[in-house]
Parts: sequence; C-alpha cells; structure tokens
Amino acid sequence: MSRQATGLRAWVLQRISAIYLGIYFIYIIGHFVFDPPDSYQAWSGWLADPFVAVAMLLFFAAVLIHAWVGVRDVLIDYVHPIMARVTLLTLTGLSLIGSGLWVMRTIYLAGATVR
Amino acid sequence: MKFRIYRYDPDRDAAPYLQDFQLEVHPGMMLRDALMALKDQQDDSLSFRHSCGEGVCGSDGINVNGRNCLGCITPVSDFKAPVTIRPLPGRPVIRDLVVDMSQFYQQYRAVKPYLIRKDPLPEQEILQSPAQRERLDGLYECILCGCCSTACPSFWWNPDKFHGPQALLQAWRFLTDSRDQATEERLDALEGPYKLFRCHTIMNCVEVCPKQLNPTRAIGQIKDLMLRHSI
Repeated sequence: MSRQATGLRAWVLQRISAIYLGIYFIYIIGHFVFDPPDSYQAWSGWLADPFVAVAMLLFFAAVLIHAWVGVRDVLIDYVHPIMARVTLLTLTGLSLIGSGLWVMRTIYLAGATVR
Repeated sequence: MKFRIYRYDPDRDAAPYLQDFQLEVHPGMMLRDALMALKDQQDDSLSFRHSCGEGVCGSDGINVNGRNCLGCITPVSDFKAPVTIRPLPGRPVIRDLVVDMSQFYQQYRAVKPYLIRKDPLPEQEILQSPAQRERLDGLYECILCGCCSTACPSFWWNPDKFHGPQALLQAWRFLTDSRDQATEERLDALEGPYKLFRCHTIMNCVEVCPKQLNPTRAIGQIKDLMLRHSI
C-alpha cells in the first residue's frame, strides 16, 4: 500500500479543510459586512492582529490543501498517460506552493507596515 | 410505439447505429417483452440478455432513454416515444445490447464477497442477533445487474482500478456482517486513491438501482469505519 498515493488521508484533509473554509467564509463575510476597513491603515491594523493574521494564513493553507486534493482527483480521473499526469501534478503543486508563499509574504508585509 | 435500438455486430458493421422499429404495445408490457416481440416478429438477429423476467437474475440491464434499468421490470408505459434502448454505458459491446461485464465481475471478486472467519467454524450456524441481521438489509439484496456501476462516471474512467458502487456495496455488506472477522484486511485492501476513493458521491448508482439500494451510503459508511480504524 505504501507505494500508492493516499486515499483516506487526502479525503480527510479535503473534508477538514472544507469545514474550516466554510467557517472562515462566514467570519470574513461578516467582518466585511459589519466592520469593513475603510483605509489602508485600518487594513494594516486589522492584519497586524496575530489572531487575524494566523486565521487568514490558516485559511489560505486550507484553500491550498483543498485545491491540491481536488485537482489531484480530477487529474487521477481524467489524465491517464503517466507523464502528462506527473507533469500536471507537478505544475499544480508548484503553483499552489508559490501562491502560498506569496500570500505569506503579503500578509506579513501588510501587518509589518502598521504604525 | 416507436423504438430506436442500438445495433452493432462487430463482424459485419463498421460502426454502431440506431435502428428504428414500430411495435404495438399493450398495457402491462415490460421493455423485455417489447424486445422479445421485436426479435420474434421483426428481426431475429436482435441480441440481448434476459433470463428470469422478474428482476431477480439481473441479466437484462439496459440503458433506456439515457437511464439504466432492468428490462423485465420496467414498463414500456414509463417512457415517451421514441424509446431509445442502448447497452449499459462504458462497457465493451459484444453485440447489440450484450456487453462484456468481465471488469465488473473482477471488481466484485476483488472485494472478497464471502465471510472470512479466523475462529474455528462452529458445528452449527454462526448465530446473529436480530439487530446484527438487520445491518445486512439494503445490502444483501443486490443482484449484480450492473446498472449502478455502469452509470458511474468514476467507473467509466477507471473501471480497472475503481471497484465501483456494486462491489463497494458488497464490501460494506461483509464489513458490517457480525460474523466476518477480516475487517482490518478488508479496510487495508480498500486504501489508496482508486479502489474506494474514486467515489465522488455523484449518486447515479442510487438513482438507477432497480432494487432501491444505496451504494453511496455504503461507501460513506466504509470511509467512516476506515477513519475510526485509523486514528
């Protein structure tokens, strides 16, 4: 079994990340409806709060995990030639990791510029 | 009533085609009766499988107006003309409505659809409480007609690796049987991205099952049990 890609773990990660995404969406929509930041300073100040920043980082981590499992499922379903599948999985993985790193940088800089 | 029936004889036809038939239907006529009448009266080369005629043997799974069903228990009056009859989707066609179900049976065989005991077998039967017996309801009734698995897109794309709803329903039937003692081995055999986890809860299987069984729920229960045995 160990030489296979995971079945149960991928499925569980997809479910758990979905729950976090669902809860976070309610929180973030609520925040922007009832207390929208009206300036860059307000944005920075909000993001400088470690709880807000960590919750947002976790949100993007959940998005990346969820997207990885979902795209992996689609590729396993439809793309059967092995080289094409490996190439597409690699590209997907790289772009997801790249997006994650960029998000970390963005959130760090936004919080760091607060005065 | 107008029927359009998928015809293909690999020895003679370059490609499959739909042939039109007109048939006088009578009340209570099942699709199987219509096919038999057409074969008898109009074209004796029309090929299809059938046997018991009462939804027990599971031989005459066909695709009618885009939906899998058993010919023998589906009334013609359920459909509007023209009634288009095709073989079960995604399977290699042997001739007309007769398809090669080998992969379907291989997947069934792969889940070891029989009781596995480690304790010595008792002199008499292995007893179950009524509650334990009840857990098999909705599972043991499967007749292996193949309507569910051949309606499943995941089975279309990976019929060699994904067990399909029929085999997974049976996997759960033995996992949940109080007399079976191979739970760990069965769960281990289902791990990996293919055998169980190609199911994306599309639920075509539930929609078409002529016995009103629910393979999707069984698959969910397998995942549940797998999770409980893993942490």
